[in-house]
Amino acid sequence: MYTVQVEAVCSLKTLDKGGIDDLHYCTMTVDLRSIENFLCSLAKNKVGPIIKTKSGTQSEYDLKTGSRQVDIVTEIDKQVEKIIWDTLKQEYPAFKFVGEESYVKGVTVITDDPTFIVDPIDGTTNFVHDFPFSCTSLGLTINKVPVVGVIYNPHTDLLISASKGNGVRVNGEEYDYKKKQVQMGPLIINKSIVALQPGSAREGTNFTTKMRTYENLLSADGGFVHGFRNLGSSAMSLAYIALGYLDSYWDGGCYSWDVCAGWCILNETGGRVVGANKDEWDVPVDNRTYFAVRGSCDDSGKDQAKYISDFWSNVEGTLKYD
Amino acid sequence: MSLSQSELKQIEGAIVKLLREEVGPKIKAESGKYLTVYDDKANQVDLVTKSDKNIELIIKARLKELYPTFHFVGEEEYIPGETKIPAEPTFIVDPIDGTTNFIHGFPYSCCSIGLAVGGKSVVGCVFNPHLDQLYHASKGNGAFVNDEPIAVAKRPLTLQKSVVGLEGGADRADSPGSNFDIKMETYKNLLSDKGGFVHGFRSLGSAAMNICYTALGIFDAYWEGGCWAWDVCAGWCILEECGGTMIGGNKGQWDIGIDHRVYFAIRGGCTADEQKKFAEEFWAQTTGDLKY
Repeated sequence: MYTVQVEAVCSLKTLDKGGIDDLHYCTMTVDLRSIENFLCSLAKNKVGPIIKTKSGTQSEYDLKTGSRQVDIVTEIDKQVEKIIWDTLKQEYPAFKFVGEESYVKGVTVITDDPTFIVDPIDGTTNFVHDFPFSCTSLGLTINKVPVVGVIYNPHTDLLISASKGNGVRVNGEEYDYKKKQVQMGPLIINKSIVALQPGSAREGTNFTTKMRTYENLLSADGGFVHGFRNLGSSAMSLAYIALGYLDSYWDGGCYSWDVCAGWCILNETGGRVVGANKDEWDVPVDNRTYFAVRGSCDDSGKDQAKYISDFWSNVEGTLKYD
Repeated sequence: MSLSQSELKQIEGAIVKLLREEVGPKIKAESGKYLTVYDDKANQVDLVTKSDKNIELIIKARLKELYPTFHFVGEEEYIPGETKIPAEPTFIVDPIDGTTNFIHGFPYSCCSIGLAVGGKSVVGCVFNPHLDQLYHASKGNGAFVNDEPIAVAKRPLTLQKSVVGLEGGADRADSPGSNFDIKMETYKNLLSDKGGFVHGFRSLGSAAMNICYTALGIFDAYWEGGCWAWDVCAGWCILEECGGTMIGGNKGQWDIGIDHRVYFAIRGGCTADEQKKFAEEFWAQTTGDLKY
């Protein structure tokens, strides 16, 4: 069993300015593997069946306002988030919660405390169109680092889970990622398949940067990647990289809940998440731009670092999000 | 030679059996295992593997045994400029569609076997063994996935609310007016808030799977240039049996042959007028004609 000691605020008292005496710092023993199991059960038994039965049935949906008219939220997203939140609150009352539907811009922040970071339904457009790549993505950060990740796609019945130091499981079975990485060979830009998603912002400099970068990556004069794939779900893209189906995933505009679970899973397979822009080697979970790369047989990390640098040289412009 | 509806259904059944029992297990077992050794074809991106060739031979032998008078056109033995698709019954076969997926182990490689008579697709079977999805149809007999009839949801079809299958393809020579350039510019127009402003695009790297997903109504459409008769023949029949339509990828190409190279599949579940209007709105976003 792998456990971590964390410094966390156990008291639920309001933190006043200067009210340091109200705080009880204590040491919590957190068994990550048991949290992983709990999240797996929640994803598979409670959330999955709802996603599966409701997929493709929501012809009525809200469109987010302004420039993001293709960003879809359904009533089901909100309901599922409430189910998850209620369940987690009961089991882990001291942990914080950040979810896509309850997020308030500028107010919701990720602290060092144990924090569940949750996307109830990742790939909402897929969900509405019944494209079988909508999933639930449940992550936990401690000290802002993703330490548990569970992703469940009920359409293909794929449950992939990990916790820090405990490796990766697929539908409960230990996943031999090393064997897969041997088959995949070295990590090289023009032998790789990259996940790319234009997202819902379709104007302005970020859109231009993405389109130019895609063209550079594909072009025979540029990265000349084997191909790109677009699954319309950040969590599924990260899961597929961890499984060795894809080599990397480059995106901007997503949020912590899109990547938190996948980030932990990917780390456990030797993969790495950096920023989408050049030289962003070390980024926080809410960075908004991400570049995820699979693990390779080269344990020194040189392979990976070269791949990342080579990829960045195809990025034309800078992705930036408020 | 024309074939009755029940003869077509029998042929469909024979292909389904061949796919499920012989071809599927091979594809599944060999996917993702040979990334480090593959032959180069037209360029670095288009990968052909030994498995591809072996599987084509197996399919050809079995179909010859069952239907000795039928012709056979397969991806691996096709000779550009020489191989023609005759009017007589002809099996048109892609042993492994989505070769790049196959090489990388991305679970969207499949086998695509179609039968054309008079240059029209009348039987189509596509099997993705990774996801255990076998799509099959024959003309007048409806379409099925794993023997379950496919029922396409009735939904209005509009460009702005659509999800479209789009691929980068293997042809990447980048110069103004090139096919690659037209594709990239068209994708930009489709996505842009000043253009089509579609809900999204998806890329799975397999033409046959993209057409099947369009047939099911999971995609609203799939637009492609550069693929071949064997990439589309099987899917075409499945699509039509689901109420979808296949036209050309370039403006005004309402009626195309099976080896047209530039295709545009549109889902059913809506009226023919909606399909027509969708096609015209989509074509308006293209920046030129794709030529192969």
